[in-house]
Amino acid sequence: MLRIQNVLLNPGLNCGFDHDFLPGGMTVVLGRNQAGKTNLCRLIAGLSTQAVGELSLNNAPLNKLSPQKRSVAVVFQAFVNYPNWSVQQNIASPMVAAGKDKAYIQSRVAELAAKLGLGELLQRMPNELSGGQQQRLAIARALAKEAQVLLLDEPLVNLDYKLREALALELRSLLDDSDTTVIYTTTDPKDAFTLGDDLLLLEGGNKLQAGAPLSVYQTPKTFAAANLMSDPGINTFTWSSLSDQAFAQQCQTASGVSKRGGVRPEHLFFVAKSEFNAEECVGFDLQVSALETSGDETFVHGVVQASNLGFSDPRLSDTRFSDLGFSDTGLSDTGLRDQPSWVVRSPGMLNFSQGQVLLVAVQKRDILAFGGR
Amino acid sequence: MANIVLDQLGFAYPGALEPTLLPLSVEIKDGEAFALLGASGAGKTTLLNLLSGLLVPTTGRILFDGVDVSSQSGSQRNLAQVFQFPVLYESLTIADNLAFPLRARKAVNGFSAADIASRVAKIAGELEIENLLKRKPKTLSLFQKQLVAIGRALMRPDVSVVLLDEPLTAVEPRTKWQLRQSLKRLQEELGVTMIYVTHDQTEALTFADRVAVMADGKILQTASPQEVYEHPAHEFVGFFIGSPGMNFVAIDSATPAPMYAASGVDQSAQRIGFRPEWARLEHPPMTHPLSAVHWLGRVTHCQILGTQDGAPVGITTLASEVGELKVRGAINATVGEEIMVVVDRCVSFCAEHYVATHYAQSSTGQLRNLVGDE
Repeated sequence: MLRIQNVLLNPGLNCGFDHDFLPGGMTVVLGRNQAGKTNLCRLIAGLSTQAVGELSLNNAPLNKLSPQKRSVAVVFQAFVNYPNWSVQQNIASPMVAAGKDKAYIQSRVAELAAKLGLGELLQRMPNELSGGQQQRLAIARALAKEAQVLLLDEPLVNLDYKLREALALELRSLLDDSDTTVIYTTTDPKDAFTLGDDLLLLEGGNKLQAGAPLSVYQTPKTFAAANLMSDPGINTFTWSSLSDQAFAQQCQTASGVSKRGGVRPEHLFFVAKSEFNAEECVGFDLQVSALETSGDETFVHGVVQASNLGFSDPRLSDTRFSDLGFSDTGLSDTGLRDQPSWVVRSPGMLNFSQGQVLLVAVQKRDILAFGGR
Repeated sequence: MANIVLDQLGFAYPGALEPTLLPLSVEIKDGEAFALLGASGAGKTTLLNLLSGLLVPTTGRILFDGVDVSSQSGSQRNLAQVFQFPVLYESLTIADNLAFPLRARKAVNGFSAADIASRVAKIAGELEIENLLKRKPKTLSLFQKQLVAIGRALMRPDVSVVLLDEPLTAVEPRTKWQLRQSLKRLQEELGVTMIYVTHDQTEALTFADRVAVMADGKILQTASPQEVYEHPAHEFVGFFIGSPGMNFVAIDSATPAPMYAASGVDQSAQRIGFRPEWARLEHPPMTHPLSAVHWLGRVTHCQILGTQDGAPVGITTLASEVGELKVRGAINATVGEEIMVVVDRCVSFCAEHYVATHYAQSSTGQLRNLVGDE
């Protein structure tokens, strides 16, 4: 097992963190730019970095080992291959360096090339390959090293989205039956679900939370963790007290002065007044300010209209957020203090016009509330 | 503003074996927001360069309001451009950057200083950048700079067309929608003809009145965003738009024909395509007879996208007798489980060029022209 302890990823931090990576599984490390993802990879690989910390692999300390002696392979964001070697020579290089016998190398190169769709391209030079093929080659070479740990540092970010989609799934099935410990860094929350057996959230060099992707998504410990797992970003409101005990129980209500609530964009839905279920849901009016659509999904951006996030319709007034016991939500007079607009992520291709006012609802179970920031 | 007609427009680089752009015809209406969507290498940039006058067409003509401009220079065509990265005059203030296109043409168009000032105020007001007017570009964020570049392209009231080449590439993903919204609002208010080139489906579908989907130097379909998504004219369109793209299944002669007929599949169809959200998963045994198209599949992967009613939803990938299938919705099966894929809705394709049958029937004459001779 790969264990890291007292890790300080970025300079200026004074509190380190520990993490045990899931042995033989894939851990997605999710964080924005500057979160420390690349520093973490460089630290584990033994490359020069500002990050410091203690590393061990299967209880043997790693820190003193040179990069070559560590059982660690790396694939970076930029496609790095030996430019003057053919595809075949590139894949063979780590095995040649390790002094493996010729017959073994030959069969292993063929096997890896076939797995990664490079079988027909063995005699080509890297500059004769497309971007996707070049990155596949880098991955094949990393796999050829047969390292116990494989680091993939945003490996698909330079590819266009169709290719990214296909390669992510390929990678997943390629590594499914291997016992390599894989660490995959990304800024895209979708990758966490597509690829991760386990998830590690980083922000500003700190560990926010770790665990199975679905459990981190469903029970984020902090607002930052919830927001990091959301694309587009989570909708927020602030509050100072919560009187409904039953609801408070369900919320993460740690102590703190400034408290925040959040609703994931995909948990908001459009509803007809007649179909609104006040038992289970909270609703409000949203004035549409912009639409974005990818065909299969539409993001509807809008400004929350009614005060206290309740329907303006008096017949539905008992469904306000305030009735959940949130008081002083900071929403009443000025709209949303933190974020001028909310966003709804809805399946399908929706056609609303700008300025239209819509009824939006969220199930009470999907409202997240946090103490402190 | 101008109505733009591309008439059998084609381009080949001298000495090249294959043309970069096969002859294509399309009309872009006056005041229309038109998007060119395709992967890199599809011919989008070549088409844009032909429009801007950087390249001279090998075949065909470009008409602006009925006038053949094919041999005119870019400046004669009176067009404006916005590039991937904001290109501003660093030594000039934002106000002077905006005023530049009018001042440069002062002699021709006779704009007075007052005309220029009022136009700067109007455009800056529309883009909500009044507070930036006195500043220099280097003090602005990339987002603000691109906003100014867009504003400058819209300064001349008589501009024939605004060409935008991947204008949001450099902008932070989380703020893209705001810039796109400003652009869209301006386009509608000023009634400018805009041609927007992108490889991003969300940008094309969100911005445009009509989208032209390009691949291999051809326009495969020109239609409204809704139409290209729901009724792709070509399999590539169904694959390229949507994430993940459409599922395609060859119609096997062994499959009973009534099953397809019940789902509204055309008799002439040789393949069907369906969006992941047009199908659902049902656990066998079936409690009712299935008339719609259905196959048994084994789950190979579940990709969670979120939760609904507290339960995970997302994309389920299955291996079936007809190949790999992807279904969007509640994730109610685990890897390795056998489950029925039921298709509620689909599009029919003919095998030749994999063109949608509805499209083949409605415009057979135009078809060969559109898909070329493969």
